Amino acid sequence: MRKVALVGAGVSKFGVRKASYRDLIWEAGKACFDATPAVKPKDVEGLVVGSVLPERTAFQSHISSMAAEALGIRPSVLSARTEHMCASGTVGIRYAYAFIAAGLADLVMVLGVEKLNQPTGDEAILNMGTGVDREWEAAFGLTAPPCFALAAQRHIAAYGTTEEQLAMVGVKNHTHAAKNPTAHFQKGATLDQVLCSRMISTPLRLFMCSPITDGAAAVLVASEDRARDLTDRPVWIRGTGQALDGFQLTSLHEDYAHWPALERAGRAAYRMAGVTAGDVDVAEVHDCFAIAELIAYEELGFCRKGEAGPFVAHGRSDYGGDVVVNPRGGLIGCGHPLGATGVAQAAEVFAQLRGEAGARQVLDAAVGLTHNNSGMGEHVVMIYGREDR
Amino acid sequence: MPYFRATDPFPLESADHTKLHEFYARLAAGRLATTRCAGCRRLAWPPRAFCGECGSDRFDWTDLSGEGTIHAFTVQEAGLPAGFDGPRVFAIVKIDGLRVFSILVGAEPSKVAIGQPVRVSPLRVADDPDGNARWLPAFCPA
Repeated sequence: MRKVALVGAGVSKFGVRKASYRDLIWEAGKACFDATPAVKPKDVEGLVVGSVLPERTAFQSHISSMAAEALGIRPSVLSARTEHMCASGTVGIRYAYAFIAAGLADLVMVLGVEKLNQPTGDEAILNMGTGVDREWEAAFGLTAPPCFALAAQRHIAAYGTTEEQLAMVGVKNHTHAAKNPTAHFQKGATLDQVLCSRMISTPLRLFMCSPITDGAAAVLVASEDRARDLTDRPVWIRGTGQALDGFQLTSLHEDYAHWPALERAGRAAYRMAGVTAGDVDVAEVHDCFAIAELIAYEELGFCRKGEAGPFVAHGRSDYGGDVVVNPRGGLIGCGHPLGATGVAQAAEVFAQLRGEAGARQVLDAAVGLTHNNSGMGEHVVMIYGREDR
Repeated sequence: MPYFRATDPFPLESADHTKLHEFYARLAAGRLATTRCAGCRRLAWPPRAFCGECGSDRFDWTDLSGEGTIHAFTVQEAGLPAGFDGPRVFAIVKIDGLRVFSILVGAEPSKVAIGQPVRVSPLRVADDPDGNARWLPAFCPA
């Protein structure tokens, strides 16, 4: 297989945006092309668009062609949309990676975009219920918060994890987001604010949850030869893994604090990259809810099973700790525009490994990890390197 | 034209629409049923018309006991979808060795506990577009 690298990235402002679905595509596309002056839209051979709900929120399908036209891209080798719920963006990056590694393409844009905020907030949440099983789950009104609440309940019962430790994930990620001009939330948060915020689904409070957010992000993915032509600092895709434990809640591991698919996806990515958890300097993990970040520490090997609460409480996942987790602010701070999230995670790691992350820069970051999930039962992990091996 | 939404959040349960119609017919009569694969005899939840273990599409309907215990639960107080009210008790119910996802109705949320006995309590929801009654397999305290 050929080596593959990121050569450019750009992110729109995330938030409750006064912007259309197409506006968001324009913003992310412009940010990415502006940051990559060596590439013009006509140079891009392929486009993959990660997007989950445009049929509901923009009443639009045929997404990749619509986005290609909006950006002036004329795909000649690859054009596709990935819909894979919350991990759609990273799944799109994997497709671009595979095409390029196989020699079928040399330069592909992966764009993630979502316009989630609808005229009514409860309708936006209704749309989110399409990601769980309609007949056996969503018909009862199930969306993501109660699913992850079950994991939090179990983690508390099994390992003595506390509400304060869950809240510390919210504090850390809101604090990081305050240094990210594209984040949904920019005011930071104190432990009291998180612990006193409105209960959403026991024990998860509002500031332990990612919000309903509009946004888009784009990255340019290139073959080795093209990457070296375009930049002197490519960020290499070193490893990738994806695994499914189950779709319905009742198909998952019976212990909801145990996510074997994440452990498997991480192990596959580490092996492919030739690195271990201890080598990771910066990680963008899928903190759709605070409990997800805690379980990610464990399944990705940053700490042992059950020790994630103390790990965050002792600052080991923050600047100066073992690994800086979610420097851009995570999903809790940046928001979670489904298809855009995985691409925005990649954009952050791209900036971090090039030393371009400004106030958020992780000192001398050489190995980065992204983790994107679709529910508790399905996980995608990418490993990026400043060096190509 | 005023703003409108067009979403039916409930499954189409009639024989015109699903191979699992028998499940809903029994549920309307107060019985919780599921499928047993005719090939490998595996009991499924939820019911299914294709067995991913042995590849058979033949199955028999079997009634479950209708009584189980709470394996896990959460109370959602805010952020519910349009058309659904809180607080809402979502639960995983252990029943005849199966795990069933559902909601608990008729319970005081603060009194719900893991291990609590519950029984099936069919919940009538909006009729389908043809006017047929529809039911979901909810549970209540036993």
